[in-house]
Amino acid sequence: MAGTYILKEDLHLATPPPHPSEAPVQNPNPLATTPQPATGGTKLSLLSLSSRSSPPLLYKSETNRSTRSNLNTSIQEHPSEGRSSGDQVPPSSEGGGTSITGSARPALSIGSAPAFGEGNSSLTATGKDVGKRRKPKNNIAKSNSSFISRCIVHENLGKRLQDRPSDGYFAFANINRAFQWLDLASSQKAEHLTKVLFTKGHCLCHDINQVTKSQSHIDLIMGFSTGEIIWFEPISQKYTRLNKNGIINTTPVSEIRWIPGSENLFLAAHMDGSLVVYDKEKDDAAFLPEDHTANSNGTSETSNGEGEHAAKLHIDKSVHSKNQKFNPISFWKLSNQRINAFAFSPDNRHIAVVSEDGTLRIIDYLKEQFVLLMPKKTTTANAFRLLDIYSSYYGGFLCVCWSPDGKYVLTGGQDDLVSIWSVAEATIVARCQGHQSWVTAVCFDPWRCDDRNYRFGTVGEDCRLLLWDFSVGMLHRPKASSVRQRGSISSRFANPLQRAETSNTTASRLRSNSSLSTDADVEHTIEHAVEPRATTAMLPPVMSKVVDPDPLCWLEFTEESIITSCKSGHIRTWNRPRDGSNESELTSPTT
Amino acid sequence: MTSFLSKFKATPGASNPGVSTPSKSKKDVEPEPEVTPLVKMLQHAGPIRNDGSDKFFGLENFGNTCYCNSIMQALYYSGPFREHVVRYPPHSPLDTPNGHPVIVTPIRAPVPNGAAVSPTKAKGLSTAESMKRRAAINSGQPVPAQPGTRPEDKPDSPEYKKKHAMAAGPILEMTYENASSYGMEESTFTALKDIFMALIANSSRTGVLSPQRFLEIFKRDNEMFRTSMHQDAHEFYGLVLNAVISNVEANSQRLKELEPPRNEDGLAQSMKAAVKSAATAMGLASGTRSPGTGWVHDIFEGVLTSETKCLTCETASQRDETFLDLSIDLEQHSSVTSCLQKFSAEEMLCERNKFHCDNCGGLQEAEKRMKIKRLPKILTLHLKRFKYSDDMTRLQKLFHRVVYPYHLRMFNTTDDAEDPDRLYELYAVVVHIGQNAYHGHYVSIIKTQDRGWLLFDDEMVEPVDKHYVRNFFGDRPGQACAYVLFYQETTVEAMRKEQEAEGLAEVALASQEADIALGKPQPNGTYPASVSKPAPVPTPPPDEHKEFVSLDHAVSSPLPMSPHTIPRPIQTSHTSTSYVPALDPAKSRKEDKEREKKEQKEADKARKIAEKEKAKADEQKRKDAIQARKEEVKAAEAEVKRVMAASKQSAAEEEEKRKRETSSTSTSETGKENGHPEKEKGFGIGSLSRSHKGSKSMSRKSFGFLGGKNGDKVPMPSDDSHTAVEGDSGPQTPEKHAKSTKDRFSFSLGRKKSNLIGSS
Repeated sequence: MAGTYILKEDLHLATPPPHPSEAPVQNPNPLATTPQPATGGTKLSLLSLSSRSSPPLLYKSETNRSTRSNLNTSIQEHPSEGRSSGDQVPPSSEGGGTSITGSARPALSIGSAPAFGEGNSSLTATGKDVGKRRKPKNNIAKSNSSFISRCIVHENLGKRLQDRPSDGYFAFANINRAFQWLDLASSQKAEHLTKVLFTKGHCLCHDINQVTKSQSHIDLIMGFSTGEIIWFEPISQKYTRLNKNGIINTTPVSEIRWIPGSENLFLAAHMDGSLVVYDKEKDDAAFLPEDHTANSNGTSETSNGEGEHAAKLHIDKSVHSKNQKFNPISFWKLSNQRINAFAFSPDNRHIAVVSEDGTLRIIDYLKEQFVLLMPKKTTTANAFRLLDIYSSYYGGFLCVCWSPDGKYVLTGGQDDLVSIWSVAEATIVARCQGHQSWVTAVCFDPWRCDDRNYRFGTVGEDCRLLLWDFSVGMLHRPKASSVRQRGSISSRFANPLQRAETSNTTASRLRSNSSLSTDADVEHTIEHAVEPRATTAMLPPVMSKVVDPDPLCWLEFTEESIITSCKSGHIRTWNRPRDGSNESELTSPTT
Repeated sequence: MTSFLSKFKATPGASNPGVSTPSKSKKDVEPEPEVTPLVKMLQHAGPIRNDGSDKFFGLENFGNTCYCNSIMQALYYSGPFREHVVRYPPHSPLDTPNGHPVIVTPIRAPVPNGAAVSPTKAKGLSTAESMKRRAAINSGQPVPAQPGTRPEDKPDSPEYKKKHAMAAGPILEMTYENASSYGMEESTFTALKDIFMALIANSSRTGVLSPQRFLEIFKRDNEMFRTSMHQDAHEFYGLVLNAVISNVEANSQRLKELEPPRNEDGLAQSMKAAVKSAATAMGLASGTRSPGTGWVHDIFEGVLTSETKCLTCETASQRDETFLDLSIDLEQHSSVTSCLQKFSAEEMLCERNKFHCDNCGGLQEAEKRMKIKRLPKILTLHLKRFKYSDDMTRLQKLFHRVVYPYHLRMFNTTDDAEDPDRLYELYAVVVHIGQNAYHGHYVSIIKTQDRGWLLFDDEMVEPVDKHYVRNFFGDRPGQACAYVLFYQETTVEAMRKEQEAEGLAEVALASQEADIALGKPQPNGTYPASVSKPAPVPTPPPDEHKEFVSLDHAVSSPLPMSPHTIPRPIQTSHTSTSYVPALDPAKSRKEDKEREKKEQKEADKARKIAEKEKAKADEQKRKDAIQARKEEVKAAEAEVKRVMAASKQSAAEEEEKRKRETSSTSTSETGKENGHPEKEKGFGIGSLSRSHKGSKSMSRKSFGFLGGKNGDKVPMPSDDSHTAVEGDSGPQTPEKHAKSTKDRFSFSLGRKKSNLIGSS
């Protein structure tokens, strides 16, 4: 039985010509040393207004599960592992599995995790008229902003919105200086619902608020190459500019996400290594780091402590600051290296941040709250906890995601590898080798994951889509070639690199904390050394296929399909295997 | 005397037109052009280090010699290589009292408008003569920088920048050779060493070096590089390294045999030595290398193991081969990592390419795999961008997008390899710009010790953003692609430290920008927006004009160093307002402002103290400098006399040699032919072949430089110092000698050949 993904759709977004104000370069000097503006390939934000198409939750319905298992057998790489529908495993005792339920639901508080900034009264002041969605201020079609070139709205927008099936996907996609709103459920999906052209700025990332979405309201945020951010409500075609002219941060926004469960707050990663929380409804104010004592302390530490580089973390403004009239809500400086991506854990307690310097940081970003509850009046902001720092095999990390149960983190990077990290065990689980160039996006397939088996997909600069399976049992098998090492995890301390790691651990503590008077909440940041190749399990892909002539930069799984997008604007939809299908576009090797 | 000194002080960019023509140069050099980004970056640099790691010289292009310039820069900025070149030979017989030979590098007056150099400058040895020789090398080339409407008139064009670099100077004229002072015969190695020594010894941080003598020698030894055609940089790299290896080995062998000094058949001895060392190079007995010569191997050499498994009898055999670089095949949309994996992928030996199995005793089908057994310190990756077209007539260029990371580890090591997880960092990229193998231009982008990444485009040197390095994956317009990648070993700690510094540099840069905007004084006391001369040179004035100072002089003499040890911590420490280069001036971060202010205060205080100290020291320094200067002039005069005498002598020798050469042309020709076919074999697969190359079109810069210049027509005084020593060794000498070196080449190239097979 073959698991075959069939190409259903190939949408091509045209790259807009350069804005008339920018003179086209006729004979580009290949050695021109003038810095190039940042740009990015096409990425999508998918939106479904029905709950049906949200990812399945673990331990949910029996029926759902059995159909999944049927499908699984068709692509199963390791059938010997006894991965059948009858293989029922008792739910794990860890809380991650249960709290995930919230992430798909529009709920203000997710699982057991408290809301970000809970307890700060100056933050909650805005929420007096809950229920009524506020819209941005300016009309994008009539805008005379120098930032926006023009906005083209489909003539039958209202009709198209009314007639569409409620369970179809909307897609928001960026290409060069254009940004398009598409209806993937429509028969005329190539015709955009709305298309916004910007003058100079390229939209690099965007996200939809899952809490506030409704038939009449969509909160969309976009991060730009100029550092600016636009809050856009596509149905009313209203927008608001944030971080206008880079008043808060001038560097490009590489990733932007709504804080899960929050109506107003979102987190933006700027390329200078800062993570900034903004409120979509607040005005900007020129930003000066608060809490100067901590800052000057921090600087002096940089001067003498070379070993502390990785643990360096500035909180230039805390969410618990009393001064919350203006943006930013909080401002964290992670490092001086470009942040390439971040992801919220399913339980909404942690963020995983990956950077150009090849580090993955797991941050307990809610921890600020506990400090607040502690009777301490000195500084409020310093307990932003950096839990673990992991390093790539080499080169920068480009993408990151969490497993649906929150137990694993996947990273992809410039070492052509996908790395699986276990959060609980704080170690690398396996490196996945199969891409022939840098890995640009990683994503779990929640419809093919259960508590022991995981399916994920990756795309890369090599134009390939790879699918991978791993199961808990398999991962703990020792690597075949290294007989001397008993297991990949149990024998961690058997090699010198690991010993080095343990000594590191004590040396590097959370820096900002060390300036505090009490030792009570001094946390230890654990910096993990690179595991040698010989002791790390290598995982091969179950499928590898060139799916586009251009380097890919994004993928996502939906219930019916895999959607990929590439640098030049192709959005391809690959339907999931169905019984009896013969045509093959993507075929897993076990046919 | 003070005015004399101030004259030197007043010429920023270290343009040093020579003592006798200051007024003239001021007229000729167009109203001192805007400060180049490089000069700007170096504005607040501390004292010059004496290891040469903070010298930023362009290299003059003699018409398509960019292949040489790009590789030369990459070699120079390899710390271990430079160090060893400078240190070898450890004890030369002609050492000056203080341990090292004195180097005198003539400086050419700037050529602002292509006009002939004022002969008054002839003081610095044979400038006139050197110009003649330059003309010979350059014959048919357009005179550099002619006035008129040309691309170089546009301020941001590379042509303009190069012209500017030439005008700013100083231009080190490498027309001399110092081989005898190293106790060696003149060779590629000694010429390379001359260049390195001259760069290190020169008092200026920036300038242009004219690698004339080096090219003459290299072309003498490598026939196919004698045309003015576009050449292959990677091939050049291989030849230079092999030449260095053989030069060094031959020398130490010679030294060994000279112990009981017997001059008579020294040649025959060195012949034997050459054969021997060739044998060593084959890997037959790597342990028997003469001591002190293995450093080139230690730096660049790795070991490949090819595992071949006969499919008939299943016997596996292993063979170790050394390599100086890896030539890797490219695929569209791949990474260097992946290309390296392909390099080690299994390969079937079948059909016409069967394997001779010793076990079965015949040609059999077999499986072959190449893995790396020993990783080199410097890993040179040659991306095979030039491929024969399908009809095998032309070399075409592959514009595949191949990404390369800043850091690398090798996946394809053998199980028993030492340190298989060794971390490498990218430190140099040689870029080829052009449509195919017959045209184009080479530049290199190199990471320097503490000045970030720099672009070296012949005469021009310019600081670039770290991200600039990624512009040469091969997919951008303009046909510029990375061609040779140099990775050097590093550690995770060093990497992290550097990443930290990168970020701090950005912070400092922001603060510096802010300072300039506020008009705050800079650490050396000048105001940033200073009215007249924009480039206050941090190096003390005495350094400025010490064109005759040798390397060790700078060390031993107390003047430049001691006063600067005080201000230095302030200037270089990253924590206080470290005045690190401005890469992107537009950046100023608000969140840092507060912190900066504090730092500023501290720094200011420290600076004031330092300045006082400095003023005192300066006074002392100035006195010392005057004294030193007098001595130098004396020494220089003596040197000039000596050299003049030598050149007279060499002229005579040259005359004699030319006579001899005409008689021995036939024999030496056969010698070359012996070497040539082997060479062809060596480069045969997928690599550049000279015979195809020379014939086709002329390259970008060569205008009518046809067969005119062959090695034998260029006057080469003291060309073969060897013959000078043993004047009566007979006409066979050059031929034999040539042959022996050729042989050695073919060995190393043979090694390369197997790489190519492995990767194809």
